[in-house]
Amino acid sequence: MKDSIKEITNIVGENNTLSSSPELSRYSVDGKRPDIVAFPQTIEDISEIMKVASRDSLSIVPWGGGTKIGFGREPHRVDIVICTRRLNRIIEYEPSDLVGIAECGISLRDFQKALSEKNQFLAIDPPHIEGGATLGGIIATNDSGPMRLKYGTIRESLIGIKVIRADGIIIKGGAKVVKNVAGYDIPKLYVGSLGTLGIIVEGAFRLHPIPEASETLLISFPNLEALHETVLIILNSPLVPSCLEVLNPPLVNVISDRLNLNLKEEYALAVRIESVERAVRDQISKVRDICREKDGEGVLFEGKTEEILWDEIREFPWRICGENRVVCKAGVLITGVPSVIQKLEGLSKTSGLRIYASARAGSGILIISIEIDSTGLTQEKILPIVETINSIRDFVTSLKGNLVIQEAPLSLKSQIDIWGEVGASINVMKKIKSLFDPNSILNPGRFAGGI
Amino acid sequence: MTVPALEEFIIGIRTMPNKPPTRSSNWKRDFAGELLQILGPDGVISSPEELIAYECDGLTGYRIKPIFVVLPRSAKEVSDIIKLCNRENVPFVPRGAGTGLSGGALPAGDGVLISLSRMNRIIEIDIQNQRVVAEPGVVNLWVSNAVGRSGYYYAPDPSSQLVCTIGGNVAENSGGVHCLKYGVTTNHVLGLEVVLPDGEIVEFGGKALDHPGYDLVGLFVGSEGLLGIVTKVILRILRKPESIRTILGAFEKIEDAGAAVSGITARGIIPAGMEIMDNLSIRAVEEAVQPGYPQDAGAIILIELDGLSAEVEAQMPLVIDVLKENRAKEVRVARDADERALFWKGRKSAFAAMGRISPDYYVQDGVIPRTKLASVLGEIEKLSAMYGLRVANVFHAGDGNLHPLILYDASKKGELEKAEELSGEILRVCVDAGGSITGEHGVGYDKKRFMPLMFGDQDLDTMYLIRCAFDPKGLCNPGKLFPTPRSCVESGRQTYKEHPIEKSGLGERF
Repeated sequence: MKDSIKEITNIVGENNTLSSSPELSRYSVDGKRPDIVAFPQTIEDISEIMKVASRDSLSIVPWGGGTKIGFGREPHRVDIVICTRRLNRIIEYEPSDLVGIAECGISLRDFQKALSEKNQFLAIDPPHIEGGATLGGIIATNDSGPMRLKYGTIRESLIGIKVIRADGIIIKGGAKVVKNVAGYDIPKLYVGSLGTLGIIVEGAFRLHPIPEASETLLISFPNLEALHETVLIILNSPLVPSCLEVLNPPLVNVISDRLNLNLKEEYALAVRIESVERAVRDQISKVRDICREKDGEGVLFEGKTEEILWDEIREFPWRICGENRVVCKAGVLITGVPSVIQKLEGLSKTSGLRIYASARAGSGILIISIEIDSTGLTQEKILPIVETINSIRDFVTSLKGNLVIQEAPLSLKSQIDIWGEVGASINVMKKIKSLFDPNSILNPGRFAGGI
Repeated sequence: MTVPALEEFIIGIRTMPNKPPTRSSNWKRDFAGELLQILGPDGVISSPEELIAYECDGLTGYRIKPIFVVLPRSAKEVSDIIKLCNRENVPFVPRGAGTGLSGGALPAGDGVLISLSRMNRIIEIDIQNQRVVAEPGVVNLWVSNAVGRSGYYYAPDPSSQLVCTIGGNVAENSGGVHCLKYGVTTNHVLGLEVVLPDGEIVEFGGKALDHPGYDLVGLFVGSEGLLGIVTKVILRILRKPESIRTILGAFEKIEDAGAAVSGITARGIIPAGMEIMDNLSIRAVEEAVQPGYPQDAGAIILIELDGLSAEVEAQMPLVIDVLKENRAKEVRVARDADERALFWKGRKSAFAAMGRISPDYYVQDGVIPRTKLASVLGEIEKLSAMYGLRVANVFHAGDGNLHPLILYDASKKGELEKAEELSGEILRVCVDAGGSITGEHGVGYDKKRFMPLMFGDQDLDTMYLIRCAFDPKGLCNPGKLFPTPRSCVESGRQTYKEHPIEKSGLGERF
């Protein structure tokens, strides 16, 4: 081990490693402290580190901005953390092609800033943008936000990729053109693979022009039924919302307080329309009409306040749930969304837990955050939380959906199934993993099915 | 690396895993008997006359007769066939409607061809949840037809959508003329039921989004039938747009049409589709289907805007401005649905129309970055002159997907070879410009030799690891996609290294 660390230090230089205990603790994963943290500046350096790790069977945790390091199960081992933050260059950007290529240690915020100079953007809005989420981390987790209704997740925007395999070999897949079917779709394999198949070092992304105008209506409804009917009417109309987000009453309450909106603690629907100015006005007025018929009362947001509202919705689990929380993502059908929300309301009453939820109503994705009392997590306190999560999962599974825990305190993690059932396809996944990483050195144990 | 002696090497290649072992004289009869037991008499085709219909797909230059064609009706039957093939080490190839242009459904010699044409039911239509569940033999257009009355449609629309099947679309990751805005097949498939190459039936993804684990749906779509046979597909359907407007612009020079494409996206407008045709194509389609395109134009561009009326109406004058800025000499806007259909009829029949102006033609499918359009077209023109063969250009200009049509006369000695060489040179130009060797037709049998233009040895090795994870025996659609035959080594570390003899071109694996 000592020799390997020395070798790695030599590869990246002493100034670009951490090896003393207090520093290393900041890079712990689920309480497991690495022996070294390396900050390589080139793809080749990462490749060299991987060769050492692979030769000596040392485990590796790829680390971007560290904003989603709570994803996944507790890793079996954490020997080396490879932090990609110095791999942050934009390699190629041709605005007329609507394609940009960047190293994956760049933060989404910095990438968007460069693109916005040409009035373009990468069409994703996952959380932790201000926290420094990197492109690599977003690809590895396939993390997404409300805008996925119109644009999909990073899966839809990633057209090419460069990856370093466990054995240090640098490979590429896809291309830098939007349309390409040459060979297997390697970029898709890496989206959501949580660093278990290689370190993602470079991506080619399809970009979009920034829409000319945008407005958001936030509408309160007297009951969930009226809200859901409104959602179905909007989805079944020619309207093209970018986001269609259902907020449950506890979440409405907090956001209302934070933004001084004076909303009642009711269910609310946030509808965002982006297009040319005339089409935005036209659609917003149609949405308003639909809502009025269902007794919905709306507030219009535009400009800066609109951005702040969406920022609050996207980041809510980390803004309002204090130090400790469990964050889950559920996937169900569009028609399943209201019943899950109702279920949460019931569970909140029986358990006494405060459960916040925001649902991407047109995609069937719910972000659920359970607040945890931060004063000492005794088993007595943990048990009702575990039961609540299991109840949510059982319910979601009965709707043929899925539930993944995205963040939870370690003491809880060991008592719940983080990924849920994958199904029979897990055998194929394990086979892929064993061929790509035969010694299981990449994020061992963190992924679904124990991969 | 130690190099085996030539003799060893030759023995090695003769015992490649795909070669069937020595079989008894009754083998074929016994095998047929077992297939009949699985499928019944109307499910197995074995007479030489009937087999002819299956010996090639849309790439008619290559023909191989399979030993049997089987027509399963269920995933269970597909699984039983595959298990039997595994036991007997018989390769098998899936086939949809056989409209593919890269030879992806070219049968394996000594192999079984599995036609999915009888698995053609739409199993479920769920309008509220925007999903359709279909069997692989369902024709692409049937999906849109089935949900059209409810105001929905299925977005990917390859030119062959009247006949091509969803299963084939999944295998090839098919595109179409509207994928600029809405994406290709992979963006619209959410779940699959697949029979793996060992016969196991599994599900990938599902009706709900974000299934945990690796994105096997994303990996499978576009895998060209090498990773298994799809038996059920969960599709996303979209609400029909409120308004559609189609604009035709005619230009003196094709470069100006190309510049207009970049000009439109630079204004922040992503049309549903943007298509360019050059003069040779314009004249050919006029002869074939009379769409009324201006005959003297150097190139025409077709632009379709769709969405809310307010949006489309706001975008239209901007688009027309861009066309005029780029020296369009004529701009027409389709007045009604009939005229719109006529505009598209010309484009959609462009390939077939080549038959009017040339005895034979070859459809190429390269992709380039939009901004390289003018320079690449110039290169193609030079190559065309150099080889003395005409090249008609039709392309999905919005996403840089070129379909140069190489016109030749197979009855003239050496012309086919010249056409093939020219077509390869065009791909080289596309890749040099930063593009791809195929945008939607697939690699298949036709283009596997060009894969090294885009991918290095290590990249291809990595792709082969995926093949090995699914199909270690290499029985499922062998001989496609990879430039050289490879085999899976059990340890999984190393796959295949080209023998120096092969590399030097002295020997070839078979």
